[in-house]
Amino acid sequence: MDKDYTASIDSATIDLIEKAKKEEIETIFSRAEEIKPCPIGVEESCCKICAMGPCRLPRSKRESRKERTGVCGATIDTIVARNFARKVAAGVAAHSDHAREVAETFLKTARGETQGFSIKDELKLIAVALDFGINVDGKDTKEIAIELGERVLEEFGKQKGELTYIKKAPVSRQEIWKRLGVIPRGIDREVVEIMHRTHMGVDQDYKHILLQTTRCALADGWGGSMISTELQDIMFNTPVPVMGSINLGVLKEDEVNIVVHGHEPLLPELLVLATKDPELKSLAEKVGAKGINLAGMCCSANEVLMRHGIPCAGNFLQQELAIITGAVELMTVDIQCEMQGLKNVAECFHTKLITTSDRAKIEGAIHIEFHPDKGLDTAKKILRLAIENYPNRRHNVYIPSQIQETVVGFSHETINYLLGGLFRASYRPLNDNIINGRIRGIAGVVGCNNVRTTHDLGHITLTKELIKHDVLVLTTGCAAMACGKAGLLVPEAAKKYAGPGLSEVCEAVGIPPVLHMGACVDNSRILIAATAMVKEGGLGNDISDLPAAGAAPEWMSEKALAIGHYFVTSGIFTVFGTTWPTLGSDKVTEHLFHEFEEMYKGMWAYEPDPIKAAHRMIAHIDKKRKALGIDKTKERVLFDMDMRRSLG
Amino acid sequence: MEKDEKKEVFDVKTKDDEPYKRYDWREKLKTRDEKIKYLKSALRYWYSNECYGSEKSN
Ligand code: SF4
Repeated sequence: MDKDYTASIDSATIDLIEKAKKEEIETIFSRAEEIKPCPIGVEESCCKICAMGPCRLPRSKRESRKERTGVCGATIDTIVARNFARKVAAGVAAHSDHAREVAETFLKTARGETQGFSIKDELKLIAVALDFGINVDGKDTKEIAIELGERVLEEFGKQKGELTYIKKAPVSRQEIWKRLGVIPRGIDREVVEIMHRTHMGVDQDYKHILLQTTRCALADGWGGSMISTELQDIMFNTPVPVMGSINLGVLKEDEVNIVVHGHEPLLPELLVLATKDPELKSLAEKVGAKGINLAGMCCSANEVLMRHGIPCAGNFLQQELAIITGAVELMTVDIQCEMQGLKNVAECFHTKLITTSDRAKIEGAIHIEFHPDKGLDTAKKILRLAIENYPNRRHNVYIPSQIQETVVGFSHETINYLLGGLFRASYRPLNDNIINGRIRGIAGVVGCNNVRTTHDLGHITLTKELIKHDVLVLTTGCAAMACGKAGLLVPEAAKKYAGPGLSEVCEAVGIPPVLHMGACVDNSRILIAATAMVKEGGLGNDISDLPAAGAAPEWMSEKALAIGHYFVTSGIFTVFGTTWPTLGSDKVTEHLFHEFEEMYKGMWAYEPDPIKAAHRMIAHIDKKRKALGIDKTKERVLFDMDMRRSLG
Repeated sequence: MEKDEKKEVFDVKTKDDEPYKRYDWREKLKTRDEKIKYLKSALRYWYSNECYGSEKSN
């Protein structure tokens, strides 16, 4: 059988797809060949929110009719907007429920009610306490943390006023939101209101539905996701540059392999701690293993990679393949992006699949619920189970050799520090290099993998095209892992792939041309970095003035839509690839793609070709440079030693 | 950037109990006062008592 080179650009992935085929194991890749997307659903021309439907309204069938409407008279525009709003709400709910779990654990930790957790980062604690208006004078860490935990939890159930983090945005951005009436009041309220307004027979004006969609999405970017990021930093440390490695080759033939998959870094942090337990280490030796090898998958991987250098086995489409190596003793899954197909794959091997969240079980998997008060005990119990499972390996083990070094951990605080050092930390050098044209602009390349497009191809083609044209790329999530596998997350990548200006700056500062900023909740770090650039001065007064753009070339989840929507409504031109969920309505699409620019100075776009998508982003960046009056080509002056020093 | 600081970023020592390389610049800030001072200068965009840069006139 010929290898399927259209499935992935990653040879480790292709090898394991082949292994699965040979061993007749079903994976997402084989299922995708059998199940094709519904042509009506793909453009969201279908409503099923009441029992008089589902009302299917494909264009072709109804061309003769004046207007496509459901049985109740709902227009196609209302239907498509409602579907879009519900997807965004689900994404916001996912990030924000993650945030709630983190906030509850944070407060319990502050009160001394958890096992294995502590307040590690006092600098970040003080910063976040100040964000929440807490007076830190004369208070010890515990007092500040308790007060902060209580304040943060109020953000979820607030009914009136504004979310606290809204005031971190540039003042002019806040004014736009105020004028449009889209400032979120409380995180949960905005999600609930979408569910109400999209119920049968409530809000039936697509523009009005999309206003609430914005308010809800902002409650994610400047609410739930930002809370997750900040509290995780306080408990587990703000990321700093760390060396790590990535791809399925990180699994080890002679060690006990445990893969942590999912999104909340709570249990993974304790698993890292538990691997150091001498008793477990000697148990591993006793069963004939040379050690315990913890590896990450999806955003759990990003979290432990950037804080501990724990190797990353791969991104979303590689989750089943990790088990198909035959070398994984145990995989833990908590929440989000875990395929139910894992259970069948695990059954073909000795792998134990463990669900750990009280909110997510998989039929047939072992459930060991994680609770922070007994967190470390649970982590040790899971590791013990993995170790005891090592002698049960029964299949041909095949671990691909592909493994790539990465440098990760570029929190916005670290970028700020790297640009100026301890005494002159600042975004000024970055702004100056954008103004002088060495760096053309900034792009956020984020999001998932999608089996409907070649694995990692969109991320890598788009990112390489951007850096080739001197655009500095900030990346998170599965996109970041794709970049890692392709060798873009190391400083040497600048010389190899970046344009001359960007390459020069990267070399002077010692950074890669693509900066790994974390997991998908850490897209909030990109918002903060963009805000710092605005506030630093010289690049306009608002995020929308920056020569910047965003992209999710391989998106698939509702969370990606939530992220895209808060990027756009924070003023960032954002291009999605693969597919787009409003094509059923010309009016809704026109509103999001064009009229939004008038309203939010940021808009959506859809472009499945990653090269074309990159050039749309570059054209937008150039438009912004022109508006700022920094579009004139300056004579390029090479850095001498003094100039390098003055970079800071 | 201080001349010697940059060199350290990707040329750091591995701690005995950590099998990875990590450059924790934040360890340089020891006391509460140093931390607050750092926030007010490095992250002045939010923590300085005065409005900064593009928002000076606000
Ligand atoms: S709400 Fe209207 S369009 Fe939707 S399923 Fe019911 S009748 Fe059809």
